[in-house]
Amino acid sequence: MDFTNTQIHHDTLPDIDDVVLKPISSQYIKVIIINKLLLYTVCFGFLILGKFMITKAGFQNNFWLIISIVFIFCVINFVLALLAFRKRKYAIREHDVIYAHGLIVNTITTVPISRIQHIEESRSWLSRQFHLATLNIYTAGESGSDLSIKGLPQHEARQVNDFISAKVNENN
Amino acid sequence: MKITDFSQPIRQSSKGIIIIFAFNAFKFFKRFFVLFIAFGLSLSKKKSFANLTLTNLILICVGILVVLLIIAVLKYLNFKFHLSKDDFHLSTGIFNKDNTIIPKSKIQNVYIKQNFLQQIINVVSLNIETAGDTKSEIQISALDKPTALRLKSELFQKAKQIDVQTEVTEAENVFFRVSIKRLLLEGISQNHLRSFAIIASFVFGLYYEFKDYVEELRLRERLEDIVHLDQESVLNIILLNLVGILAAVIISLLFSVIKTVITNFNLEVIENQKTIEINKGLINKVSLSLTPSRIQNIVIKTNRVKRYFGLHTLFVKQAMVNAKQRKNFVIIALEQQQVKHLVNKLLVNYSGKSEAFKPKPYYKRIMALRAVITVGLLTVLGVLIFGRNFWWITGLLLILSVLYVWIGYKKAYYKIDEDYVSIGGGVIDTTTNILEINKIQAVKLRQTIFQKRHKIASVFIATASKTVKIPYILENDAKSIANFLLFKVESQHRDWM
Repeated sequence: MDFTNTQIHHDTLPDIDDVVLKPISSQYIKVIIINKLLLYTVCFGFLILGKFMITKAGFQNNFWLIISIVFIFCVINFVLALLAFRKRKYAIREHDVIYAHGLIVNTITTVPISRIQHIEESRSWLSRQFHLATLNIYTAGESGSDLSIKGLPQHEARQVNDFISAKVNENN
Repeated sequence: MKITDFSQPIRQSSKGIIIIFAFNAFKFFKRFFVLFIAFGLSLSKKKSFANLTLTNLILICVGILVVLLIIAVLKYLNFKFHLSKDDFHLSTGIFNKDNTIIPKSKIQNVYIKQNFLQQIINVVSLNIETAGDTKSEIQISALDKPTALRLKSELFQKAKQIDVQTEVTEAENVFFRVSIKRLLLEGISQNHLRSFAIIASFVFGLYYEFKDYVEELRLRERLEDIVHLDQESVLNIILLNLVGILAAVIISLLFSVIKTVITNFNLEVIENQKTIEINKGLINKVSLSLTPSRIQNIVIKTNRVKRYFGLHTLFVKQAMVNAKQRKNFVIIALEQQQVKHLVNKLLVNYSGKSEAFKPKPYYKRIMALRAVITVGLLTVLGVLIFGRNFWWITGLLLILSVLYVWIGYKKAYYKIDEDYVSIGGGVIDTTTNILEINKIQAVKLRQTIFQKRHKIASVFIATASKTVKIPYILENDAKSIANFLLFKVESQHRDWM
């Protein structure tokens, strides 16, 4: 095997900054909104149930305070989720998969394709209504190094899945 | 002594009957523990149980033991294993016959262990571990030691290497053997806070388990009586508290020392041609081997006191090791030189001499913020519980947190060379994390919006067994590190295991 290992200047390496990250499907924001609203409904449901069930004075007197705190929390959470949506981006390069997400804590994870153990495409009931799919990419690492790209258009997820599967098999 | 031929189906050592019997009996008694207590209680009250006399009961017990013995014998007779060229074959089962075949190439680890009973009758157990869940482990519970060692080496012998390896394997030498003195020193310089936490949780656990029983003893009232007598002077209370603290310290210290000595008794590091073997343990003896190709991370730990005594601890993180065994891959009480030698053996071409870079001072800010939040919470709690006087302790804590930030920043550094990444850190401990670049599974860049303004980011590097962090460096540096690491991994096509 002819193997060379010449020093490469750091400027000539392929740069993460040069990659054009592609946003996930704009349909997915609907899934996020529906999920969030469901969660908030459950929260408020429990609170209102508490209003009728719990007779403690401490709870009853501060009921509106609690409700407003929860409400403000929900609004902030909702706004952040909407703003963070635009940060969810991904890219497939020749040798690796990149996924970026997060508004307050922005994370860019890169998994080399040669390290992928297996890949799966999953679709929840809600995502199916919008023709979306989630791509789960598993490595041998700790759970922290696994990737889950949510809200891809279904045909795109299929394409990526096929491409990576072929690559992984080729490596083996 | 005749040499066992592994190519024919053979049974384990006949002493295995005792081990299987003891193991089954133990399991049986454990399962019906509550029942036995009920037996005992009603016996002590009525001299009989369910209209059975004492002799009948003893007969029943003997009967159960005989049945267990017969099962043990049958199990022993039906437990046969042999080796073919590429596979390990095992057949078990009295009524349901199981035939297991494991290809040699799929074997991940082979452990030799010896518990207390096995030490008495001088046999060892051999565990074969394959990738996959914990249930896929095979145990041969009684072999004499030479046979076990030979079986182990044959299991590791890949079919193609047979002619090469048969003669070379004998070239082994004991590289390191721990002395009792160093073991004790290691125990004393352990983190006693952890021991204290373990003991405290254990005591609380016991208390909750036997709450009713303890309350019956009226311990509290008796204790209050004692305290009441001493309440005559404040000095006595302080003394009592001091005695309590001293007792806690001594118990934690003893616990650390005993734990260290028992788990690491007779620690031995044996250097083979390619692998390194660790033998240790007093009550449960374990024997493990480290294979360089499977090692993902190496962590070296020491602290001020330990460094003074020349004590370093080496943690080896391997891929595909079940959780129970993971904590055993530790070599304690090593000299600096010995650590260096082992690291060189396990990591080919590791120099660790490249230039060290430090995180940006932003790291100090993060640590300070963390410390201030912790101290703030503690103060609020403390004032609520102990009253105003707690401010003194807050002052002390603040001084400690300044030290924490200063030392933490001083110790933090990272080095990256052609094949390895090393990251230093720690506050009380001094830790060094080393990982080989071609073992990387994923690279993560992380940046909060507060860090974005300062152009700061952190890099997380994940291998199959651990994720390490290069904290708070310049965004551009972080990106070029990520680019470099990914380039290395993707251009080389070397296996991570």
